[in-house]
Amino acid sequence: MGRNDMLLICGTIPKDDFPLTIGPVSFDGTSLILNGAAIPCAQGTAALASAACEVAEYLGAERPHALLVGDRGTGKGSRALYKHLIEHLPSLSPGVLILHYMLPIMGLMKKVCQSAEECRRRPVMIADAAAMYAAKAAGLAPRFDIFTPDHSEMAFLADPEASHPAYVSRHLFESDGAMIPELALASYKQMGAAIMLVIKGSTDYIVEYGKVIGQISEPDIPALEAIGGTGDTISGMLGAFIQAGFPFADAAHLTARINRLAGQYTRATPATKIREIIAAIPAVLRDHVKKETRGSLSERSMLNDRN
Amino acid sequence: MKTNNKTVSDGAGLILFNNVEEAIAAERALKAAAYEVKLVAPPPELRKGCDLAVEINLVEKAGIERLLKEKKADYLEIVPVKGKGDLLEVVKVTDFGGAVMVKAGNMKLTFDKKSGIIVNVSGGGCPDIPSLHADLLDKKLSEAVRPKGNGYTLCSLMLDRAFMESLDIWENHGKE
Repeated sequence: MGRNDMLLICGTIPKDDFPLTIGPVSFDGTSLILNGAAIPCAQGTAALASAACEVAEYLGAERPHALLVGDRGTGKGSRALYKHLIEHLPSLSPGVLILHYMLPIMGLMKKVCQSAEECRRRPVMIADAAAMYAAKAAGLAPRFDIFTPDHSEMAFLADPEASHPAYVSRHLFESDGAMIPELALASYKQMGAAIMLVIKGSTDYIVEYGKVIGQISEPDIPALEAIGGTGDTISGMLGAFIQAGFPFADAAHLTARINRLAGQYTRATPATKIREIIAAIPAVLRDHVKKETRGSLSERSMLNDRN
Repeated sequence: MKTNNKTVSDGAGLILFNNVEEAIAAERALKAAAYEVKLVAPPPELRKGCDLAVEINLVEKAGIERLLKEKKADYLEIVPVKGKGDLLEVVKVTDFGGAVMVKAGNMKLTFDKKSGIIVNVSGGGCPDIPSLHADLLDKKLSEAVRPKGNGYTLCSLMLDRAFMESLDIWENHGKE
């Protein structure tokens, strides 16, 4: 099992002086390590990559790679990131590509997608955060395999006029969780959705081609919504499972369950920090994801799941 | 003077002005600050004031507004080219018992009800959010710098809305 191609995670970190850097990453319990630099594991791409590291290590898979650059919002680092991807994506040819925190620049996102088409094999394309905003706003959503929105971002994907969640229609923003299947279908029909959506909320939804194929609501940990980074961990774990060869739907189901269980293990409160959630992931994996030998998993992944 | 009348880009916004001189001054200030902008003729349905506008990446609204204010560059308003012109106003409030979460658009801010300390910031996706998250975390609402003051993007404006609503809740109800 395994795609034998790297998982490449692309995003920004909140340090102006952090140069564009690419390499394998690891998580030491508090920080993400890239080329010897310790990046605090907080909300954002550092949390995403740290969660991916924990899953990859457990599976005995190749370490995730990250392409990170400093950007505190001016967009300078983001532009350098887009430029690097446009120029080098074909030579990197990752098996799984996750695009994450970066200034949404629609024209550059189009070029990144064109560059992805020139890879030896088209990568599995996952977008979250503002990369997802850019993909939707630029009309590129159908070219992505997976988006990982939360409920408010789902309203944005379903709003044909909005170029950013800040401009979403009030009636869509105010729609409750029960409306998610309708929003998902609407977004798919108007080409605002990727092939698969993994939607984080009080109930997590897995949607494929506009239709709900899975719901996960246990364990119920309401505090997770308040904890910055709990969507990032979903995207990172999802990418790591897919890179290890899991079918998308299985990877999505596993990821949603693990995220909730990690919240349960940490006895999460609204004040819990994301590094605590990530630190609990190995224990969740050991307890709930059956592993025959290192690097080789059972056919269905959660055979020893208690729920 | 050279303007570009081509179809505006996806996700674009327009800065509208009273007169041509204001438009040219704003464009110059923004370009000097490395913003990628251009002078355009606004479509008739958005036209106000003069027939010249500056096209921007709408997501950069917060940083652009701050820069224009610092440079004392006058303008009428910033509007999206597509869709409605107003930012989402409505907020949702969740009471966790010991903490309150305020959600504005895609941003959520959670504070401790007893101390008024910000315990978490979640949601969003623009690159200023992790930085604002670090700035706000463990600060008292009454002592923290407004996200609008340090942010650059629409996400930061949504976070600012959540922050101001949280501050209002804390000042009027949190200390009871």
